[in-house]
Amino acid sequence: MADHKGAYGASSSNDTSFRKTWDRSEYAAKAADRDQKIKEEGKARYQATLEGKKYHRRASTPEDTKDTEARSARLNVADKVGKTQIIVAGAGQGKRGKSAGFYCEACDLTYKDNLQFVEHLNSRQHLVATGESGEVRRAALEEVKDRFEYLKRKREEEKAREVVDLTSRIEVARDQEEREREEKRRKRNEKRRKTKDGLGVQEIKVENDGVIC
Amino acid sequence: MAHHADAKRALDERGYKGQLVRGDNPLKLFEKPVRDRIVDSYYWKEQCFGLNAATLLDRATELSFVGGTYGVAQRPTPFLCLAFKLLQIVPDKEIILFYLEQEEYKYLRVLAAFYIRLAWEKDEEVYATLEPYLTDSRKLKRRTREGWALTYVDDFIDDLLLKSRVCATTLPKINPRLFLEDEDRLEPRISALGGELEELDGEDEEEDESNGEVEEVNGPVNGREHEADGSDEEMVGG
Ligand SMILES: [Zn+2]
Repeated sequence: MADHKGAYGASSSNDTSFRKTWDRSEYAAKAADRDQKIKEEGKARYQATLEGKKYHRRASTPEDTKDTEARSARLNVADKVGKTQIIVAGAGQGKRGKSAGFYCEACDLTYKDNLQFVEHLNSRQHLVATGESGEVRRAALEEVKDRFEYLKRKREEEKAREVVDLTSRIEVARDQEEREREEKRRKRNEKRRKTKDGLGVQEIKVENDGVIC
Repeated sequence: MAHHADAKRALDERGYKGQLVRGDNPLKLFEKPVRDRIVDSYYWKEQCFGLNAATLLDRATELSFVGGTYGVAQRPTPFLCLAFKLLQIVPDKEIILFYLEQEEYKYLRVLAAFYIRLAWEKDEEVYATLEPYLTDSRKLKRRTREGWALTYVDDFIDDLLLKSRVCATTLPKINPRLFLEDEDRLEPRISALGGELEELDGEDEEEDESNGEVEEVNGPVNGREHEADGSDEEMVGG
C-alpha cells in the first residue's frame, strides 16, 4: 500500500484541517455562557441551601440531542396478553439482553411487564441511550391547527371506511344466505328424487315419544 | 419554552423554572394526592409522555368521557390526566382558544374550558370566554366515583362558573358574576333564551308565592358543594 491514508480518509495524517477552527467571538460567547451557567448554578445552590435542600446539578445536554416526542401509537402490549412469560428475577430491574418480556433494543434490556417497560422508556437512561434531550418542543398555533385538520380528516376517512365495510359486510352476508338457501334446495330436491313417488320420505310422528308434557 | 417530559422534574419545587400561573407552579392547582395518582397512572406514563400542544390533540380527540377520579383506587380519568398535561405545557392562549372554539370534539372543548377556569387569572375574562358555550347542549358522559352519569356541555360550563369543586379539583376562587357587574368589570349577560327565561322566572315567582317559601337555586357560590353521587368527594389522605 503505497498511498497512505488516515482512518478518516484524510490524505495525510498531518492534515489538521478537519479540526474546528475557533472563532474568537465564538469563544468569548462560549465563555460568557459558561460564566452565566456557573452563576445560575451558584444561585440555585444557594437557594437550595436556604431551603435546607440538597442541590442536584442538571446534566448538561449534548448539542446533537433531539426533542422528546410523544409516542405515536399505543405500546403494543396486546400481543403479550395471555401468553406465558417467564418472570425474570430482580423485578423492576431490566434484565440485560433479549429474553421473554418487553425488550428495549436501544438499551439491550428486557422488562417483565409493560408498566416497567414504559417507565424505562420514559427514563433518563433510555433517553440518553436514544439521544433524546427529554425536552419537549413547544408547538405553535399553526402546528396545532394542522394536527387538528389531520386528525379530523383521519376520522372522516375511518368513518367512510366503516360505511364501506358495513355495506360490503351486508353484501357478503346476503351472498352467504343466498348460497345456503341454494344448497338447501339442492338437498331437498335430491332427497325427493331418491324416493319412488318423488314425494320424499314422510316424516313419521310418534306420540308419547318420551317427552313429558 | 420547551417543557421537560418528566413531570417529576416539573413537580420538584427546587427545579421549577416554567411559566407561573397565579404566581405558582401551575401543576400545584391539582391537589397533591391527585397529582400523585396521575403521575403514577399507566395512562399518564404511556399516553401523556412527551405530548405538546399539537400532539395532545391525538389523545384529546379520543376522549369519550369527563370526570375526576374513580373507583376504590381513585384512578384519574384520561380527562384529568390531559388537563394536568395542559397545566404542564401552559399552551399559548390562542391555542387554548382554538381548542375551545372548534366544534368537532366536544370533550376537547370542555377540556379547554376546565383549563381556562383553572389557569386564567382574570375573572371577567373567564366569564366572557366560557359563557358563550352555555348554549352548547351536547351530551357528555361523566365518570363518577362509582359509575357513570350524563351531563351536558352547558351544564359542565355552568358548574365551572358556579361550583367550587369540579373533577376532583378545587377551583380557584372566582368572583360572582354580579359582583363583577357591580364593579363595571363585566357587562350584564344577555341570555340566549332572552324573554323565554324571564317568563320562566315569572312562573317560578308565582309558584314560590303559593308555596310560601323561597327555594335557594344555586347555593352559595363560594360554599363547598358536594355532588349527590359523591364523585367529586375529597381525596382521602394527603
Ligand atoms: Zn431503553
